[in-house]
Amino acid sequence: MQINQELCVACGMCISRCPVAAIKKEDTLVHIDLDECVECGVCKRSRVCPKSALEQQELTYPRTIRSLMSDVLTVAVESQISGRGTEEMKTNEVTGRFKDGWVGIAIEMGRPGVATRMYDVEKVAMAVAKENVEFEKQNPVTSMMSNPQTGMFKEELLNERVLSAILEFVIPIEKTDVMLRLIQDVAKEIHTVFSLDICSKVAADGSIPHKKILEKMGIWFSPNTKINVGLGRPLFQGN
Amino acid sequence: MTHTLHRVGTVESLRGDWVVLCMPSKDINHEGSAPKLQRFLKICRANHCVTLGDCRGGNEFYQGSQEAVLENVEDRAVVTATFNNEKDLVGVMKQLKEEDLGLSVIVSGLTDHVEKCCHEAGLKPHTVEHSLGRLGDTAKLPPQEILAIATMCGHSMVAVNFIYEMVEKVRKGSISAEQAAQELFKPCMCGIFNTDRAAKLIKALVA
Ligand code: SF4
Ligand code: SF4
Repeated sequence: MQINQELCVACGMCISRCPVAAIKKEDTLVHIDLDECVECGVCKRSRVCPKSALEQQELTYPRTIRSLMSDVLTVAVESQISGRGTEEMKTNEVTGRFKDGWVGIAIEMGRPGVATRMYDVEKVAMAVAKENVEFEKQNPVTSMMSNPQTGMFKEELLNERVLSAILEFVIPIEKTDVMLRLIQDVAKEIHTVFSLDICSKVAADGSIPHKKILEKMGIWFSPNTKINVGLGRPLFQGN
Repeated sequence: MTHTLHRVGTVESLRGDWVVLCMPSKDINHEGSAPKLQRFLKICRANHCVTLGDCRGGNEFYQGSQEAVLENVEDRAVVTATFNNEKDLVGVMKQLKEEDLGLSVIVSGLTDHVEKCCHEAGLKPHTVEHSLGRLGDTAKLPPQEILAIATMCGHSMVAVNFIYEMVEKVRKGSISAEQAAQELFKPCMCGIFNTDRAAKLIKALVA
């Protein structure tokens, strides 16, 4: 995003709207720090500028991934859905993506609100890849890797800054313990935050398989959850 | 993801915050899903939702009105609604079960309560996702009471500085907590920013 300085009256109204504080006032000039800006479009969409001075410049690769990963209204080619993730557990009753005996993990890099450079995403991806995970193919982040086996990203993307980038994969339930410890360790090496998710299909007796493991490991989990209530059709045939 | 499982707050405050999403699955049941997604939104409206939205087309501020949100729903949309009490949540779940739209429905909120509501509505949880919290350089995060408001937009479109600005205005008496909540809703394109809970959180902040 850019500010057309011919139009801007430096009223400062747009400054607070930026989720990553990339709009700055210096002396009498309000400008956008392009290195910090994640191209989320929030400032312009807020219609707060009295002079319509916020202008979307044409984005070229690799900067285009900022908009793809930060602007909620940009639709990802891979998943064909808006938002930065995939259908994940939201449609599990029809896709069967998370089966009995498996758990899904999502590492939501940069969330909430801190944003992330892609080199930090790579650091976490490479750490978890050591456990031979297969990153979710429909997630646009996976297509940004030069080697999905190692979690290495394309060189030209590493310094790009995005509001979020989600690493998604499925592991056998018996690997949960090792994987969560590994994620806790790599968390100490990054310059941003991530939100961590774990999901599994409810067992026939109504219990939540991953919950037992978390309790045994003594890992905190939220009192609130996201629950797929099984209304999608046709139901996935299998376990 | 709308990040609805990562809504931060005390159990007491989360008792007034329920999010329901409806979406088709690509290549399985997405064709012709738009009218069903519209129906979902209408059912939510009939059951007194606080907000509604469409993650693909944008919220009512962006699209101009709730009617426009409903009208412009496309086959691949993810549509949403928030509720502030369990009675309405059970009502909407019951009706969704009866109407059997055939699309996936996901409910976020306090686990035990959602499970109880599922039971009352005759539904069974199929897959459950927990938040394991925030890891990494967490010193970069705002205080919990601000995070409780900010995380109601999972895509972080509601800037922390904007929240502080609105809270300050309420503190000075230039706007009400409800007006501040409406302003803060505007950047949340999916429409899952629960304005009712936001107003309550803001009131607690300025008390
Ligand atoms: S596009 Fe987003 S990140 Fe860039 S200046 Fe505007 S609000 Fe800030
Ligand atoms: S709101 Fe518009 S006029 Fe005011 S500082 Fe921002 S760009 Fe300039």
